[in-house]
Amino acid sequence: MTTVPTEPILEIKSVSKHFGGLAANSDVSFTMDEGMILGLIGPNGAGKTTLFNCITGYYPPTKGEILFKGGRLNGMTPDQVCKLGMVRTWQKVRPLAKLTVLDNVVVGALVRTGSVKEAREIAREQLHVVKMAHKADFLAGGLPIGERKKLEVARVLATKPDLLLLDEVMGGLNPAESEDIIQLILDIKKRGLTQMVIEHDMKAIMRISDRIVVLNSGEKLAEGAPQEVVSNPEVVTAYLGEAHV
Amino acid sequence: MPPTPRNRGLAVLPIVLGIAGVVALAILPKFVESPYALQMMVLFFLAVIQGEAWNLIGGYGGQYSVGHAAYFGIGAYTVIVLLQSRGIAPWWGLFPALLLAVLVAAIVGSITFRLRGPYFVLASIAVAEIFRLAALNWKQLTNGAEGILLSGIPPLVIAGVQITDFSSKVPFYYMGLALAVVTVLVTIWFQGSKLGYYLQAIREDQDAANSLGIPLTFYKNVALMISAFFTAFAGALYGLYVGFIDPQTAVGLDISVQIVLTAIIGGIGTILGPVIGAALLVALSEALRSNALTDLLVGIGIVNPASTIGQFLRDNLSHAHMLIYGVLVALTILYMPDGVLGGIKNQIRKRRARAAAGGAA
Amino acid sequence: MTIFLQSLLSGVLIGGAYALIGVGLTIIFGVMRIINFAHGDLVMLGMYASYFLFTLGNVDPFVSIVFVFPLLFLFGAILQKTVINKVLNALPQNQILLTIGIGLILSNTMMLLFTSDYRIISTSYSSGSFRLGEISVSTPLLLSFVITAAVTAILYWFLLKTDTGQAIRATAQDRDAAQLMGVNVKRMSVLATGIGAGLAAVAGSLISPTYYIFPQVGQPFTLKAFVIVVLGGMGSVMGATVGGVLIGATESLAGAYISSGLKDLVVYVLFLLILLFKPAGLFGKSRV
Ligand SMILES: Nc1ncnc2c1ncn2[C@@H]1O[C@H](COP(=O)(O)OP(=O)(O)OP(=O)(O)O)[C@@H](O)[C@H]1O
Ligand SMILES: [Mg+2]
Repeated sequence: MTTVPTEPILEIKSVSKHFGGLAANSDVSFTMDEGMILGLIGPNGAGKTTLFNCITGYYPPTKGEILFKGGRLNGMTPDQVCKLGMVRTWQKVRPLAKLTVLDNVVVGALVRTGSVKEAREIAREQLHVVKMAHKADFLAGGLPIGERKKLEVARVLATKPDLLLLDEVMGGLNPAESEDIIQLILDIKKRGLTQMVIEHDMKAIMRISDRIVVLNSGEKLAEGAPQEVVSNPEVVTAYLGEAHV
Repeated sequence: MPPTPRNRGLAVLPIVLGIAGVVALAILPKFVESPYALQMMVLFFLAVIQGEAWNLIGGYGGQYSVGHAAYFGIGAYTVIVLLQSRGIAPWWGLFPALLLAVLVAAIVGSITFRLRGPYFVLASIAVAEIFRLAALNWKQLTNGAEGILLSGIPPLVIAGVQITDFSSKVPFYYMGLALAVVTVLVTIWFQGSKLGYYLQAIREDQDAANSLGIPLTFYKNVALMISAFFTAFAGALYGLYVGFIDPQTAVGLDISVQIVLTAIIGGIGTILGPVIGAALLVALSEALRSNALTDLLVGIGIVNPASTIGQFLRDNLSHAHMLIYGVLVALTILYMPDGVLGGIKNQIRKRRARAAAGGAA
Repeated sequence: MTIFLQSLLSGVLIGGAYALIGVGLTIIFGVMRIINFAHGDLVMLGMYASYFLFTLGNVDPFVSIVFVFPLLFLFGAILQKTVINKVLNALPQNQILLTIGIGLILSNTMMLLFTSDYRIISTSYSSGSFRLGEISVSTPLLLSFVITAAVTAILYWFLLKTDTGQAIRATAQDRDAAQLMGVNVKRMSVLATGIGAGLAAVAGSLISPTYYIFPQVGQPFTLKAFVIVVLGGMGSVMGATVGGVLIGATESLAGAYISSGLKDLVVYVLFLLILLFKPAGLFGKSRV
């Protein structure tokens, strides 16, 4: 690998995404450095998930450019993006319902190996990481929501990514489960992975983020260190105001 | 941690049973000479091959092709046309037949796999209909609706020794058995392979699969090509065995439906599902054809043979196998959507998972 | 030029009946999101109903639609309530297989009951035609087209002007929203299947003087109905109406200029092309 350490791992350059007349993202730019956690926040419908979709190749951006490890992603399909080392979870979880929990993770691991045996080993490790080894032989479709979210994380970890995009992995969880996930995210950071995290829970996002980007009506409203961002009056009115009333 | 047999290769018992079963089938013709019994077995093997082949793309991959008659027909027509009008022996004719089927699968897949759900099903039907209409209209080659009656198969001679002259059903029996065993083995390999995992992921959720690094169309195409290969092989065997093909019996929509039915009755996405489905369907069609079902109804006293109903059944039930197929499809979808084996498998999995959770707690 | 006009006219006339078949399919799809693979077999039932009304009761096939529609409406409604309703939330593949099964049951039951003999209805006007300059116009086709237009007009009036019709359209737009607005979507599903079946059967009656009637006659109509509906945009009644006429004309022109044996093939190729390049159909996403 010849990545120069000073080069950002991800650069979003004036990305816009329009659905008909609706600008779900307009002219969004920011960069991410290796190893950091970037919190992406904004009210419902701000365009956070849409940005994930653009970055990972689900939608072609209407305008703008996305660079991952210095290379252009435009025009790449989600599977190619995954192979390059960037992978996302789904806000509305998408377990492979009729496969076992273990096999769900095996599918993720297979992107790095042709050997199913090796993939199973990777998968078991990742299940341990998210503390779900005891559920390995359950059908994924039968899991409660908290475990489905963890399974999403184990599955993307198994693809051995450099950059993880987590879309509301704490959504709908109870405080104990959320705490588990927070610890998990911090552990993943310790291993040197870069993460972009969408979350509505402000306390959580303040704790884990190195930097925060705020989206509102598709536009980037603010960016900065967590403390800076929450004290930004525009953010308070546009986002925090609404969320806390 | 309890071992999970399904995941650690095959357990010993199924292997032993499987080998014993195949050996028993292999020596069966030594003891059974009834052409009727052999006929049933050949039809059973053909159904197994088609069901297993469809299962790869339809059962594991969730891509419900209702157009597999296209590949069946390509196999049958290529071999028969080459033999009948060019005198090319079937074992040579097979090569272009299978190659053509795989090629067509690659093209059809590249076009239709962009479609999802009902649109894919519709497209698969349209493709098969295009082939049926081609067979119907390209008269110089296919003799149109009249079909082609095979005038004979040259004897198979290897190194000066005549292996068979195809005058009995026995050589077809062994070819069918061999190919059926091969398709089952391929399915076993497939289920445990990366390809099999990827197809199942695609079946469960295409977007999720795509995000985990799976190029969807590529893997669907590979599975379809393998599937088309064996389906065409079955078509070729069928044509040679029956000695007659026409557009309806070799490329008709009924063929496609039968193939799907074989797989879903037994249980899609399982190794033995299509075998069970094939056994059930062949036995059922035969029971209808031979009026055994009417005899049974009369025998247990439900129907009076002299009554109008008894007479009606005796006269008509033998033509009713497509009707019964329709009833079976409907009942399977309504009451047993996972098929016979699928239902059992779910039960076992649940129990095992419960036991594993109990052990770990 | 004469050949062109002649085939165009015959195509458009037969296209009227196609449009009814397609509209029936699209209404069922719109309301329940189920593709009815037994649709052509409903056309076949309509043909048989008219045949028996004609031979046993001496009812003219064009008049018979006043009996055939309610009969098949009832049949469709019962079919929905007893069977199709059970798979509303099943996988689309399974819904399709179920309706394929229903189609097999219908056509093969008819075969058991009435054999696979070809039957014809020979009315006084069956082979009648008159000339319009160079072009000859088939009387039964023209009559059927006129009736088709009337039936379509009534249908549009029903969908646009009556409360029930609007409820059906609302359900087709957005099932959940309709339910929230107090529409009885279950009832709408029953009604839609009834209407769809009735329209298919009426189309069957209308073409019965010019077609052979046999148990397997429906299958090609099922496929044609898909082509029409996909062409017009799944769920769009307007689209299916125009689509039916377009397909009728295409088929007829292909028959005249390529080969009559290959006209269906042309239609299926066209179908694949639409699926690939314009999957939303010519009329976009608009529904009903
Ligand atoms: N495929 C699509 N077609 C049309 N509009 C879309 C599509 N996807 C998203 N949108 C619209 O784009 C806007 C942004 O949606 P998005 O899902 O990105 O928001 P979000 O920030 O993730 O919201 P939430 O916090 O609720 O998840 C919304 O108005 C949404 O309705
Ligand atoms: Mg979102």
